[in-house]
Amino acid sequence: MKKFKIIVLMIMALSLFVVGCSSSDEGSSEDGKVELVAWAWNVNVGALEDAMTMYQEENPNISIKVEDIGRSDVYDKLSTGLAAGGVGLPDIVLVEDDRIQSYLEAFPKGFANLSELGFDQHKQNFPNFKNELASLNDSYYAMPFDAGPGGMFYRRSIFNEAGVDVDSIETWDDFFEAGKEIKEKTGVYAMSLDKFKDDPTFRMMLNQLGIFYFDEAGNIDLTHPKAVQAMEMIKKFGEADLIKDVDGWNGTVSATVDGSTAAIPFGAWYYGTIIDQAKDTAGDWGVFLLPAFEEGGNRASNLGGSSFMVLEASKKKQAAYEFMEFFTTESDVQIMAMKDYGLFPSLSSAYEADIFTEEIEFFGNQPIWKLFADEMADVETPYFTKDFSIGLDEAIKAQASVFNGEDPATALQESANRLADRTERELNQY
Amino acid sequence: MKNKAYVPYFFIAPAVILFSVFMLYPILYSFVMSFQTSVGGIMEFNGIENYKRLFSDEIFLKALKNTFILLIIQVPIMIFLALVLANLLNSSILKFKGLFRVTFFLPAVTSLVAYSIIFSIMLMNDGVINQVLMSLGFGAIPWLSDPFWAKASLVLAITWRWCGYNMIIFLAALQNIPDQLYEAADIDGASRFRQFFSITIPQLKPVILFSAVLSTIGTLQLFDEPYTLTEGGPSDETLTIGMYLYQTGFRYFDFGYASTIAYVIVILVAIMTYFQFKIAGDSE
Repeated sequence: MKKFKIIVLMIMALSLFVVGCSSSDEGSSEDGKVELVAWAWNVNVGALEDAMTMYQEENPNISIKVEDIGRSDVYDKLSTGLAAGGVGLPDIVLVEDDRIQSYLEAFPKGFANLSELGFDQHKQNFPNFKNELASLNDSYYAMPFDAGPGGMFYRRSIFNEAGVDVDSIETWDDFFEAGKEIKEKTGVYAMSLDKFKDDPTFRMMLNQLGIFYFDEAGNIDLTHPKAVQAMEMIKKFGEADLIKDVDGWNGTVSATVDGSTAAIPFGAWYYGTIIDQAKDTAGDWGVFLLPAFEEGGNRASNLGGSSFMVLEASKKKQAAYEFMEFFTTESDVQIMAMKDYGLFPSLSSAYEADIFTEEIEFFGNQPIWKLFADEMADVETPYFTKDFSIGLDEAIKAQASVFNGEDPATALQESANRLADRTERELNQY
Repeated sequence: MKNKAYVPYFFIAPAVILFSVFMLYPILYSFVMSFQTSVGGIMEFNGIENYKRLFSDEIFLKALKNTFILLIIQVPIMIFLALVLANLLNSSILKFKGLFRVTFFLPAVTSLVAYSIIFSIMLMNDGVINQVLMSLGFGAIPWLSDPFWAKASLVLAITWRWCGYNMIIFLAALQNIPDQLYEAADIDGASRFRQFFSITIPQLKPVILFSAVLSTIGTLQLFDEPYTLTEGGPSDETLTIGMYLYQTGFRYFDFGYASTIAYVIVILVAIMTYFQFKIAGDSE
């Protein structure tokens, strides 16, 4: 019996040791210094660190450790940490706008209610669609950060060679004719798209048309006549062989660099990639707004953008909130993020800065930031809902079927039906 | 030194504890989760609803179908190819055996993701394979975007990766077949083909069974190749159960249903293995 007790004690001791490994030190240390931990990726990391340097002038006791762990790893670690009840999480996390609602729905107790901490006073400084994406039941759970006003990034030399005047392109039909002209004269595709694995162009078109996968009530809207119209337009480009099929992000970037596509429809953040990867083509770039579906129609759209969330489980919630409030609502910080990292602000007071009227040499002296800033006010809210990932999955499938020959209306109907099954949402009938 | 009975337990304790924490606990907990669903962020029991949902879930059924198509086509091709290669490498007239052995085995030690990415680059629309085909006067094949060719690409990739691995297992087993059997067959005038089918294969039966079971399990859990090569597309035509499990859990946060799918894989593996033993196995 005694031996048995010893064994039990040993196992208990060892398991205590194992459990002990997982709990980390919390709170501020005795000398009043606070170190915040944030998870972010890519250029956002540098922006956070530089902003902290600015913040430290007034708050010398605060510092930040930004863990740069790639976008998908942030999500995987965040999901598992929240599912485990808030273990091993940072104080601050960067989340893309299209994911905010799904995190809030899946983990309603996981994130700090920022309205309770006083974020409501900044409401009028952000565009409407950003506010809607960052809140749930009229409370903020995320602080709006960058946005991705949509545009066509195009190569001036290719358009000139084909004799196409950018200013004459107002509708998608105009762009289709221009694309044929370009293909004929230069052999270059009009646009690039990862035909079978992603649908950014379709999403921007939906946003332009004022609809999305879901409507405001959360019903499925993929069968909306305007969605069919958008998909038919994409099919038209595909059938005329004007779309270069690229493989993932790398494929898109290499098509951008090697000039095999005349234009790339993307969010403003693509500026950073172009100036970084296509250095040899400086001065040859330009931007025009996405063409409208009918003359005089809406040309404003948005693709991507992200916001910062504070974790409810954080022991340094107040300090984290105060720093992030500084980060997201201070014009100087946003202008720094824009200038140094190409992160387009959604904070409207930032647009008064000089950089928004500057002519950009890389883009043939076009004041592209003015174009994007003016666009922001007209962007409609895309209703991502908590089921955005499933909606995206089904929309991509519809697009793949269309490129494999199916009729757009049928493909969207099939996807919408599956989406209704998977999400138990109502399907709008037209 | 007196032998104390608890000493062995002390030595196995670390392994047992680590196993319990990182294997046993997740296994048991995911079984519990397979009967739960998330209601407002809290896991609640919902009986066998998750299991019922499987049968009406079009995408799950499609993933199941895809997985079985891959299984039925890929595993026999690979096992047969591995057998033939092993037999050739075992033949006494072949030179540079070591070189060939290493060449065929090399794919098995390359990183899964690295090889998948290389395959995806080679199979792209304007990738090297299509360029060769076009220079030979054939049309380009939509390797990754056509429902049929996307599956074929997966079969190709998986076979390339795992054939050498199975070949090495067979090669080891071949060397244990006594030479007398072949000598006797030679004297009786049996052809090489006859020897292959009447001596080699029956003698290798337990090893072939072992390889088939391992490959079946591997294919049922297939994830990396479709994830990097096709992302399950076009339109779910290459979605496997393993990928659907990942998507459900980590992309759609439906951990309960994902656990249900995991247990379905377990059940399938058990059933398949049982039948393989039943059909091909000996009483042992």
